[in-house]
Amino acid sequence: MSLAIIDARKWQNTFDLKTGHKRQDNSLKVQMVKAVLGEHPFPGDIDDKGNQWVTDTALDLVDRYDPNFVFLIYAQQYYSFRFEHPGEAKRQQLIDAVFEEVERFREESGFFPVVVGTGDMIPVKEYIDLSRLDGLAITSHWLTRYAGLYGITPADRRYLRQLNGIERLVSKEEFTSLFSGEPVAAERLPEYLAVAKEGYCFRSTLLRRPVMIPACNYSIPVSAVLGEVNSITDISGGIDAILREKKVALILVEGVGIRDFRLPYTSCANGKGWFAYENGEAQYLTISTGKHQVFAYPPGYRSYQEDGENKEYPFSGYLTSLPPGTVGERFDGKSIAVGNRSMFMHTVTGTDIAIECFARNLANQGCLGVIHR
Amino acid sequence: MKCNYCEWRCELGGDSYGVCRMYQEEGGTITERFPHKWCTYVISRVESVPFYHAYPGSRSMTIGTTGCNMACRYCVNAFVAKEEPATLQDTMYTFTPAELVQMAIKRGCHNIVFNVNEPAVSLPSLLEVSKEARLAGIPMGCLTNAYTTEEATELLASVFSFVNISLKGLAADFCREYVGIPDAKPILRNIKRLASLTHVEVTTPVIESVNDSELDQIAAFLADVDKEIPWHVFRLLPEYKMKEAEYPNIEAINVALEKSRQLLSYVYFHNFVGSDWVNTLCPQCGSAVIERFSLGCGGDKLDRYNCRDKACPECGHRIKLYGDHIKWNGQGGQL
Repeated sequence: MSLAIIDARKWQNTFDLKTGHKRQDNSLKVQMVKAVLGEHPFPGDIDDKGNQWVTDTALDLVDRYDPNFVFLIYAQQYYSFRFEHPGEAKRQQLIDAVFEEVERFREESGFFPVVVGTGDMIPVKEYIDLSRLDGLAITSHWLTRYAGLYGITPADRRYLRQLNGIERLVSKEEFTSLFSGEPVAAERLPEYLAVAKEGYCFRSTLLRRPVMIPACNYSIPVSAVLGEVNSITDISGGIDAILREKKVALILVEGVGIRDFRLPYTSCANGKGWFAYENGEAQYLTISTGKHQVFAYPPGYRSYQEDGENKEYPFSGYLTSLPPGTVGERFDGKSIAVGNRSMFMHTVTGTDIAIECFARNLANQGCLGVIHR
Repeated sequence: MKCNYCEWRCELGGDSYGVCRMYQEEGGTITERFPHKWCTYVISRVESVPFYHAYPGSRSMTIGTTGCNMACRYCVNAFVAKEEPATLQDTMYTFTPAELVQMAIKRGCHNIVFNVNEPAVSLPSLLEVSKEARLAGIPMGCLTNAYTTEEATELLASVFSFVNISLKGLAADFCREYVGIPDAKPILRNIKRLASLTHVEVTTPVIESVNDSELDQIAAFLADVDKEIPWHVFRLLPEYKMKEAEYPNIEAINVALEKSRQLLSYVYFHNFVGSDWVNTLCPQCGSAVIERFSLGCGGDKLDRYNCRDKACPECGHRIKLYGDHIKWNGQGGQL
């Protein structure tokens, strides 16, 4: 039974991760995680020290827990690029800074780093507004290229076809056939998936509009230390292989792709056919599990329908269960994860211990620590 | 010509659009500058607004416009509420009242709640929406600072059947320095009036060492209006001009609320993740009659509804509730 520890600045509370009900636990591991959370208050998603928090917290946890596998996500630059285009010079400085943090972690921890860039970002060319359809369009705050369509009418189809920014409309059948052979949970798939052209962004109901969004990253960079990696699904097996010999840190750098990657790299396919992952749960899970993960919570699905009372895993966003087969779950040694991407660290990594910021739409609420085992 | 929507009573005309920048004088009448322009239409849980005693468990479509008549130093929506409205119009959605109501139906929402900025700055549009919503059987609620004129307060009550009023503080010094109004007298007047016309809940954000000394006084005022008014005490989330401020101490505020809990039947302390003080306890026997879970700022949700016929299942004491317990996926017409 996984335990969730909330740190809301000088105040902590513990819960059962699955039920969300309060739980008492004073084990040494809980005390250790509480101490780490208490000593590293999260500075904020777009705070200059957001990435430094990842390194500092991870180093502290490495020091106390002595893991053999570490999973890190650095996301401060992603949030900065997304909402406040900082100008190219400043953008490059932020990218330099995140790679300095990666290097600091490597140097101070002695872990063997495998670094993955989750994809380049580009300025928004134009927003696509689907609010006026007769049917229902489900756009998401954090996936900008895909929208789910339900109950669309012939008039909606005509409207969609004349929009400049629409690359294709994909039926359920077409979508599943693209990933034939992969695990499919078709009940969550939208009736149609609208796919935007590069640079076009489906408008969501989030109050803050993005200014930079993921490019169509058909390839992403993986640091060359992993050897030949053809597909994003190959990363996981590569990590397993190195873990047999040394302590490994899998490090995801958000909002950085082939164009700006600062280390020698191999490029690998970031999806299949016309489908390219945007940085988020599906991409992380694919990296973590070694299998494509487009159907568990597919783009454009109606997540709100599953958000009623008694939903399990209340700290885990739209996820209704813990994904199986993650790299941390497979590894039988000690493992930790730290990242400034809310919700995802404890769900996609599967590590013994995961620490993540707890921020909602940039509002900084504190931190979450999860102990899975 | 003087605007009569809020207590600033701004002189409108020419390029003068008032403190909120949302009204204009046109041919001897006051009109909205940007009617039927909405900044969002997002699905929320009614508990996250927060409403703890209105339609528990229901799915709300939350909406907003732009502009505000206050200048709160800690506004979490300043990028919408405090920007010049004219500069934001290219980012707005345009929906007629019928379209907005249809959007709520398509998304399976039981009610519509205005909660991004101050509804008094868009009252004519909201009045039209309320007529369509009433025809469709969709109740409307709002968050308001209640710094409205007596006439506008009546209008608010005709549009919204459930209202959460932000009573930010009492002292004139505090009002001037932290929320940018001369004093709280009109707000206190309007709480009394709205409580007699609609379902009212009240929210007070607490800034440690600034307005925490007023908690007992605020509770006493509310108890005098109706001791069953649900009171949401918010731990301030430092944002906007208070970004660098310390997070208020949770334990200290909780201790400071002890006396208030004797005065009011329903006192909640939240706006931070994992709060222990979000359940409704029966005022008679202390049983947890409605259990909730707090994910912090805008993230509260119903966990278990234990009432029977709006009464405590243990002792039968009647719990103050506006509307029924609503099933999350229970609305017809949704796509």
